Amino acid sequence: MTELLTPEEAVREEEDGPRGGSSFWRYLATKIGGSAISLVMVVVLGFFAFRVLPGDPVRKIAQERPMSPEQMDELRRQYGLDKPLIAQFWDYLVNIVTGNLGESYVYRESVSTLIGQYLWPTLLLTGTAAILAITLGLWLGQRAGWKHGSLFDKIASGTSLVLWSVPTFWLALILLMVFGGTLRWFPTGGMVTPGMRPGDPGYVLDVAMHLVLPVVTMVAVVFAQYLMVMRASLLDEKSADYLTTARAKGLRDDLVRRRHAVPNALLPAVTLVFMHIGGLIAGAVTVETVFSWPGLGKLTYEAISGPDLPLLQGTFVVFSAIIIVFNLIADLIYRQLDPRVRRA
Amino acid sequence: MVVPPRTSPRSWRAPAGIVAAGLAACLALVPASASFANPAQAQGVAAEASDAADPSIFRIATAGFVDTFNPFISIYLTPTNIIRYMYESLVQNASEDGEPTAGLAEDWESSEDGTEWTFTLHEGLEWSDGEPITSEDPKWTYEQMMQDPVLGTANGSLVSNFESLEAPDERTLVIHLKSPQASNPGLEIPVVPKHVWSEIDDIAEYPNDADVVGSGPYLLKSYSANQSIELVANPKFWRGGPKIDGIQYIYYTNPDAQIQALRAGEVDFVTGLTSTQMEALEGTEGITTHAGQGRRFTSISINPGSETPDGVAYGTGSAALKEVEVRQALRLGIDVETLMNQVLDGQGTVATSFIPAAFPTWHLPDDDEAIVSYDPDAATALLDGAGWVPGADGIREKDGQRLTIRLLADAEDITETDGAEYIAGWLKEIGVEIDVEATDSDTIDARTSVGDYDMYFSGWSVNPDPDYQLGINLCSTRPDAEGNGGTSQDAWCNPEFDRLYAEQHSELDVDKRAELVHEMLRLHYTDVAQITLWYGKSLEAYRSDRFDGFTLMPEQDGIIANQAGYWGYLTVEPVAEVSDAAATGDGGMTGVWIGIGAVVVLGAVAAILIVRRRKSADERE
Repeated sequence: MTELLTPEEAVREEEDGPRGGSSFWRYLATKIGGSAISLVMVVVLGFFAFRVLPGDPVRKIAQERPMSPEQMDELRRQYGLDKPLIAQFWDYLVNIVTGNLGESYVYRESVSTLIGQYLWPTLLLTGTAAILAITLGLWLGQRAGWKHGSLFDKIASGTSLVLWSVPTFWLALILLMVFGGTLRWFPTGGMVTPGMRPGDPGYVLDVAMHLVLPVVTMVAVVFAQYLMVMRASLLDEKSADYLTTARAKGLRDDLVRRRHAVPNALLPAVTLVFMHIGGLIAGAVTVETVFSWPGLGKLTYEAISGPDLPLLQGTFVVFSAIIIVFNLIADLIYRQLDPRVRRA
Repeated sequence: MVVPPRTSPRSWRAPAGIVAAGLAACLALVPASASFANPAQAQGVAAEASDAADPSIFRIATAGFVDTFNPFISIYLTPTNIIRYMYESLVQNASEDGEPTAGLAEDWESSEDGTEWTFTLHEGLEWSDGEPITSEDPKWTYEQMMQDPVLGTANGSLVSNFESLEAPDERTLVIHLKSPQASNPGLEIPVVPKHVWSEIDDIAEYPNDADVVGSGPYLLKSYSANQSIELVANPKFWRGGPKIDGIQYIYYTNPDAQIQALRAGEVDFVTGLTSTQMEALEGTEGITTHAGQGRRFTSISINPGSETPDGVAYGTGSAALKEVEVRQALRLGIDVETLMNQVLDGQGTVATSFIPAAFPTWHLPDDDEAIVSYDPDAATALLDGAGWVPGADGIREKDGQRLTIRLLADAEDITETDGAEYIAGWLKEIGVEIDVEATDSDTIDARTSVGDYDMYFSGWSVNPDPDYQLGINLCSTRPDAEGNGGTSQDAWCNPEFDRLYAEQHSELDVDKRAELVHEMLRLHYTDVAQITLWYGKSLEAYRSDRFDGFTLMPEQDGIIANQAGYWGYLTVEPVAEVSDAAATGDGGMTGVWIGIGAVVVLGAVAAILIVRRRKSADERE
């Protein structure tokens, strides 16, 4: 819960100023400024972090295939690796400002195009998983919190925490073996059966079948955090006076919960949802790798084993940007949702 | 008294009923859509391919990088393999032993001095679109590579010795070389159709990933990045069209998923297994495993004292390793056969040198007089003779220097980390201390390229003609102190080896050339530039209930995938009767029952929940 105090504290600091009226705009400016600085840091770091990594992409290629020194020099020239580092950095900066992330070594295609292509499968996968995990987590969480200590609470909390502790990779492989390899209920990998084209009859169902195992894996390992936060914040609300009033009116128990307790308890949960969306997309790397899902995670994995520097930089910058933007949204939404923060 | 619930905009309904219904619907859909295995056998799940599979499409699991299918540019293994199937070269590598055999050319001869090669094409060759294949096609292809360095990205080194080309008639091509060469200049270069490629504006940028016009047994039809590659059979292939309609490469990122896909019958072929995975598959009905003699060697590369081609020493190599007696003692002190059995489960062949046994013409035979086996006593004698005396703790010393040698191992490769421990144990017995440094492969690459090592595990895939592999052992291929310049196998240099290389490079008589190559390998062996460990087997598995009739390369114990040729899938054919007796078994019914059961259970749960929610708190207390 400590992480949830940061926006409040930030707000309080903001509101210490003499002119409370303009505080929202100041708050917004500060937050956006902070995010912009983070982005710049990411862009700079993205270039240098991967350059200092050991390993020469061209030498690596030359180990797989007969190559004369002339051919290797030609490749370095094509990749722009023959220029001094500072010149390479300048090219990279100029490119980024114009929205060009360079050209991938492996795919010989522009990195922006590649990321564009691979973004949709990742959004489909993480979007589906996020909606399910959030719905399941929040719903189970408020039930468990309301009946604190009941059998339902013990089972829901226990199961979710066990799944949360399980390594994603391991769970994914077990599901793959049992439901893919042995029972054959679901495909063992990919997004669509080869030969199927969008628009074919059965295409949507085919994609849905391919979605099941990766989505189940992702939901299983993350829904606990939504459950626990919802449960904790509902426990906080349970002892509030206004609930006693509601009960005194003779409202049915589940109405007291639904109309009075849950809306108030949702506040911290909503913030958490936004805070973790970036992490969800980053967490797709493991699941995509196990289930051969053709998304950004897999692209990153391949870029690392290259090392395909432009692609690594590109995915790094894009992932980081997504996380920064969602954290910014979380800050702003929290402020809007919780009048206590606004009034400080 | 129960007040009917008022709906309010703020009510947050727990959609128990909706969720239940949705889940039930999903489960009920499963049997309808998933292809269920047919438990014809009593064991439950039968090892039978999924019903949806087309018996004439051969499906291969892959995780391979694809840079491009453009034969001038493509460098990575998977597209290069596919390009072998799409474009015939003038001369092909034979499946028997990798020696030159007919490609587009049925016949060739070289001039007395080896600088002029004349090729005669088969009669009546056709591209897949029906256009005739003439000598203009290889002439145009080679000229593109000679004129534009970018188009030499993939195979530039193969035409670097070409002076000029002539096509005196439709079936004759003459290659004039700058200097004599023994290796056939028509090998390994894919020949593209001039009438298609000369129309392309920017050849280097052309992806060539749909509806390819080619001359080989299979042609690329479509490509979906990181999802699948589809090839169709080419009935116009000069050796005769394949017996299947096509090949699908299907992407599976990790090897475990590939194995599950093979078990589930989603793919028909998997390669690159570990011995553990292979054992797990053995005995699975409908699956056959195969260990093929590969074309890769694994070695321990020794730092002989790195020097630039100009003779400037650099790096941090141990001075002790400059003594040939020490290097020889290290080889004598390692029990390679036991090591191979321990870390590779024996899935390999003990090596003699860096030319694999898959190429019998060039390979140094096991019974060659130079070859020594594990002999710690001889190793001890060598070290004693060289003045290395055991110290108090048994580790040898000389002039105050301890005989400690660093061994770099890739921490992610269990064969290297385990192997390093075994080696350290054996060498300790002869008084040599091995300091194992396990790190990541990129660090190993970076350190070895600047001479910052004593020994490391290395390995290469070798082509049928040994010229290139021999050539990267020349003094002139050693990199400079920054690691730039040539690609050297072990940063080793021996003027006598260089002299023999030049001799074999232009020796046209195969027997004489083989003798020269053996002499070079012997020299490399006794000088111990590396300790070649083994030629690892390539472990493959396929659905023998659906396909059979692969051609191995080499035909004796060879491999199916990743050949230096197109033989593996050329002759594959569907197994006559795939017993399709059965999408009607109770496999489908099992699913239906599960679906029905789920609906009933979820319905009951939903009902209980709804009833419970209608109670107020005091009713429960």
